[in-house]
Amino acid sequence: MKTILQATLALGLVASPAKAAELTVLTAGDQNMVDYINDYLGPLFEKENPGNTVRVVGTGPGDAGSQKITERFKAQADAGSEKWDTDVAVVHEKFAGPMVTAGYLEAYRPKIDTGKMVTRANADMALGSNVSGYVMPMFNSQTAIAYNPAMVPNPPKSYDELVAWAKEHPKQFGYNGIKGGASGVSFVMGWIYAYGEGDAKKLMNGPFDEAETKKWDKAFASLKEFTTNATLTPGNAGTLDMLSRGEIAMGPVWVDMFYSWQADGRLPPELKLVLPAPGMPGQPMHYVIPAKSANEALAEKFVALATSPEVQADGIVKKFNWYPGIDAEFVKPKLDEATWNKLFVDISPEDLAKYGKPFPIAPYNKAILEAYERQTAN
Amino acid sequence: MSKRLFGLLLVLPALAVIVLLFIVPLAASVIGAFEVTGAYGLGNFVKAFELYRNDTIFTVLIVSLSTVLIGLFSIAIGGYLTLGENPRAVAILRWLYRWPMFIPFIVVGQILRTFLAKNGLMNNLLINAGVITPLQATAFLDWRGIVIAFVWKQVPFVALLVAGAMASIDRGTIEAARNLGASRLRILIEIVVPQIATTLLVGLILSFVTMMSVLSVPLMVNAQSPTMLTADIAFRINAYGDYGVANALGLISLVITSGVAWIYLRHTMKERA
Repeated sequence: MKTILQATLALGLVASPAKAAELTVLTAGDQNMVDYINDYLGPLFEKENPGNTVRVVGTGPGDAGSQKITERFKAQADAGSEKWDTDVAVVHEKFAGPMVTAGYLEAYRPKIDTGKMVTRANADMALGSNVSGYVMPMFNSQTAIAYNPAMVPNPPKSYDELVAWAKEHPKQFGYNGIKGGASGVSFVMGWIYAYGEGDAKKLMNGPFDEAETKKWDKAFASLKEFTTNATLTPGNAGTLDMLSRGEIAMGPVWVDMFYSWQADGRLPPELKLVLPAPGMPGQPMHYVIPAKSANEALAEKFVALATSPEVQADGIVKKFNWYPGIDAEFVKPKLDEATWNKLFVDISPEDLAKYGKPFPIAPYNKAILEAYERQTAN
Repeated sequence: MSKRLFGLLLVLPALAVIVLLFIVPLAASVIGAFEVTGAYGLGNFVKAFELYRNDTIFTVLIVSLSTVLIGLFSIAIGGYLTLGENPRAVAILRWLYRWPMFIPFIVVGQILRTFLAKNGLMNNLLINAGVITPLQATAFLDWRGIVIAFVWKQVPFVALLVAGAMASIDRGTIEAARNLGASRLRILIEIVVPQIATTLLVGLILSFVTMMSVLSVPLMVNAQSPTMLTADIAFRINAYGDYGVANALGLISLVITSGVAWIYLRHTMKERA
């Protein structure tokens, strides 16, 4: 926070010369998102566009951060402001669709060179909403089960094996419920994909059908039973904490967080990852440009830089262990083999293609969370 | 200008601040609790009851239990400061007990999260001291953790008030009881506490209301379900963008706190009368 304040103050002082624009970037997500733009992307952009400055504002982790950005756009749209105070925003997948529907965003993807390098389906359909042209993925992240090989010599290959293992080893599996971060949410969504009696594809692609929500009772009852045998951890970081202290042997985590913690020495190096069948969800973070940005051309330049193969290789994959936002084929030549392989040590590209799932579309997402609160947590 | 109008003019800025910054948001939140997709109704309360009934009960139980414990500990601390006979022990206690008051709740959460964990400092100390074996160690990161955090943070505040009140009561009554052979515990319970009951009650009520509003401790310490209402309110807004149910939950906790606020008001009114 202090560095943001200082940076804002410093930027405010240097940004005064005439003609120089100040690009305001809002980002949802943890502090690492702010650090990424402050320490890496911003300086890079300022070097390539002399005289202009980048100001970054973090709005907080999780959906709450994106919710704040949405509310900010809504307030300015309702007030009829000619020029908005945001040039670029980084938001969670769930919020891209509603922003497009409300008309807050500019369709800028066809206008920038890197637009053609995006191949993943989630750049066109964000949880059931068509966002084609409006978003550029900053990166893709994935959840997986982290485990301690000393305590789990044969990691479970599927949810079924996981359930059987957890039964034999009470309290050794830990997850953070649904209120303490998205790795727990992702585990629950994977559970419904595996055991919900409806069609998991429909949950991911829509359309929303009320009848579908009635098919989960058995899955939630079994999840409740499973949860009594599991340990509930306080948050995404809480799961990693407990894994590192050896209090649990397995738990769902974000892949990028896992590798970053391991690189920092906060997790024992011997811990490993496995992505069980039928799969767990992951999600991208999206760059969006508001329809009434004051520095439209500059904002487009910023996103083009951020999604260029060089930045994706050096910043996204190498520094943060995220999966690239644009097609990996463009990123791979820019990386040394060791870095590239590191990302796919435990989870092979084939695993990722087979078991890396999107989150359910927004109305199902909401229905599953509420059903969990009603049937499993109560 | 009449004197009356002038007086009104003087109070106007303060009044405007209270209305704009306190009454208006509160009213908006209360009205919002009854708004269900454009119309008015009790839908939000039905949902709040359906999903968060256990959490409401849990919240009341946790906060009440903490309040009772805070009362007991602060009487013990205040009592020792007033009746203690070892001047060095009294001095050390006087110096030590206030510290947690200056530590924010979020830091308390962060401290206890590592202290109370299964392999945390507390269990390590107990294991090294031979009190328990490693296999007996369990994490206190559940409702017990919340109670410990609340009590740890609020006891100094109430103890400060209580000790102050105890110091100002007439020493003569204490000396008289001691001359007649009463034990210190009996003096504390039968002579000292009744005389400072009002101060104690006010301190406990303020603690109760403070604890009802803490979000960081349940979020950081308690991963279990049920959890406290504040965590549910945050979750409603963050995960669903659902201000209706969040407002309803806010109103429910407001009703709970106004219960104790009523006791507080009745007492202060009585004092003034």
